[in-house]
Amino acid sequence: MRKKQTLSGLFVAFLLIIALLTPAGSQQEVVLTIREGVPAISLAVPPFIYDASVSQAKEAAETIHKVLQADLNYSRVFSLVPQEHLSYIRPLNPKEIFFKDWESIQTRILVVGEITQAREKIVFEAKIYDVKSERMILGKRYQAEPEAFRLVAHRLADELLKIYGERPYFTTKIVFVSSRDGNDELYMMDYDGANQTRLTFNKWRDYMPAWSPDQRAIVFTSYRAGNPDLIILYPYEGKMVPVSTKGTNFSGAFSPDGKKLAFCSTRDGNAEIYVARADGTNIQRVTYNSAIDTAPSWSPTGREIAFTSDRTGFPQIYLMGAEGGNVRKVSFGGNYLDSPGWSPDGERIVFVSRVNNFFDLYLLNLKTNQITKLTETKSRNESPSWSPDGRHLVFSSNLSGSIQIYSVDYDGSNLRVLTSQGENKLPNWTN
Amino acid sequence: MKKLLIVSLSIILILSVSTSCKKKVEEVPPPPPAPQAQEQPKVEKVEEPALKEPVLTEEEIFQKKTLEEINQEKPLSMIFFDYDRYEIRSDAVPVLEANAQWLKNHPTVKILIEGHCDERGTEEYNLALGEKRAKSTMDYLVSLGISPDRMRIISYGKSQPLDPGHDENAWAKNRRAQFLIIEK
Repeated sequence: MRKKQTLSGLFVAFLLIIALLTPAGSQQEVVLTIREGVPAISLAVPPFIYDASVSQAKEAAETIHKVLQADLNYSRVFSLVPQEHLSYIRPLNPKEIFFKDWESIQTRILVVGEITQAREKIVFEAKIYDVKSERMILGKRYQAEPEAFRLVAHRLADELLKIYGERPYFTTKIVFVSSRDGNDELYMMDYDGANQTRLTFNKWRDYMPAWSPDQRAIVFTSYRAGNPDLIILYPYEGKMVPVSTKGTNFSGAFSPDGKKLAFCSTRDGNAEIYVARADGTNIQRVTYNSAIDTAPSWSPTGREIAFTSDRTGFPQIYLMGAEGGNVRKVSFGGNYLDSPGWSPDGERIVFVSRVNNFFDLYLLNLKTNQITKLTETKSRNESPSWSPDGRHLVFSSNLSGSIQIYSVDYDGSNLRVLTSQGENKLPNWTN
Repeated sequence: MKKLLIVSLSIILILSVSTSCKKKVEEVPPPPPAPQAQEQPKVEKVEEPALKEPVLTEEEIFQKKTLEEINQEKPLSMIFFDYDRYEIRSDAVPVLEANAQWLKNHPTVKILIEGHCDERGTEEYNLALGEKRAKSTMDYLVSLGISPDRMRIISYGKSQPLDPGHDENAWAKNRRAQFLIIEK
């Protein structure tokens, strides 16, 4: 196990060197392979210790424990030692940890958590131990009010992902469109559906939002001025900047380096793809075709763009260079394909295919040219968006009758619904 | 003599008494007048003098209405499209011809052409397809002599279905271009 870890670390380093050596302008993609099939890291999270006389200590201990376990279970990186196995060994004493006990129940990583109090505030202290070496590998202290207890758990889960070289994402948000307050408005929520928060407040339709990679900006389409305009919203600054207001403007997507913004517009008369700077200035047209070209999605390097075009008569998935060159069709076998989403590892493209009035999600592996079906629900599953680590996807579906947002893992497992109020659609986690 | 005096005095006395009695009767205040019904002021009918309306021309009737009233009357009929297509169907041609004629009769009117799709398309593609439907509708009206300056187009994709159903009947109604008068 340890050896595999080192090997994959070396492999990543090797790929990074390749990336540095690859001449600029080459269409080659850097591929960070998800270690599929590698057993998950076994981790134990015994109940957190708290002083019952301290107000909110019990609530803090239980909430953070529950949310942390849910995060780690979701990760596909860690596997939790079942709580009942803890009864086989001596109870945890944080002052004197019997590591051999933990090893005997197949624990590799032990998370010890304790709620304390500092200046009347709740403090959560976490110590992460490597059981085999009997060493603490990470210590963290977080102070939080009750409304941020979930965030404390997400922060610690992110730290655990970082230790293993994974991209942290438990503190990231999913932006989406909801009709719960009467008309389509932008909302955001945690990855697990908690903390659903309204972002726009008007009686017009706000539509198709997409995050910038740092999640400080959201590009979206709004009908507020009587026309579908492309606008950038800076939700933490309370600022909005119009980008393109002539024709129909939609399907905005920030590049993974956060420097560019691709979108679809009919500003010159037909649906074409444009690329601008991330602030919306310096708009350049990149497709020239009388057909519909839409739904741009950046490759992880930002050198290529996947998009939808119906230039052969029906919508299909194409790739091109970010300046519009080297256009090629990559989809095959379906006659109505749309919404390509390039995976963060660069290896796969998720897309929607319509067969017999049902929409399902499919994955195209760019290396093997194989297509696998990800969902099979006899409903309309659409608007897929990858998690930052590429192990999960969010999408909208009318599976339950009304349109709601779901999450599913890259292998089709772990389908869960994240929303329930009103109709919810067009989720975006990463572009 | 003395007797005569007494008689005369008596007469005088009687007379004086009788006169004084008479006077007293006359001095009784008259009974209060019977309460009389107060006279009501006459009701005056207040109204503007009636105008004799002239016979209005169709144009004058049109100008009297608000944009909302005109749109409620739906003087411009919507047209429908085939699944996944944006070409003008043959059954839409007479509808567009009638619409063009109406627009020629109301030369100051400006319209918004809305393109809509059914739910069996994806969000992104439908937004582009809805715009294509609005555009081909506008182009056809231009070919019938309507100035493009009088028309604007907008796409709503599948976000504003006419029929909320989920069958072919509903879908056929939702694949449409409809007209909104925005200036008269």
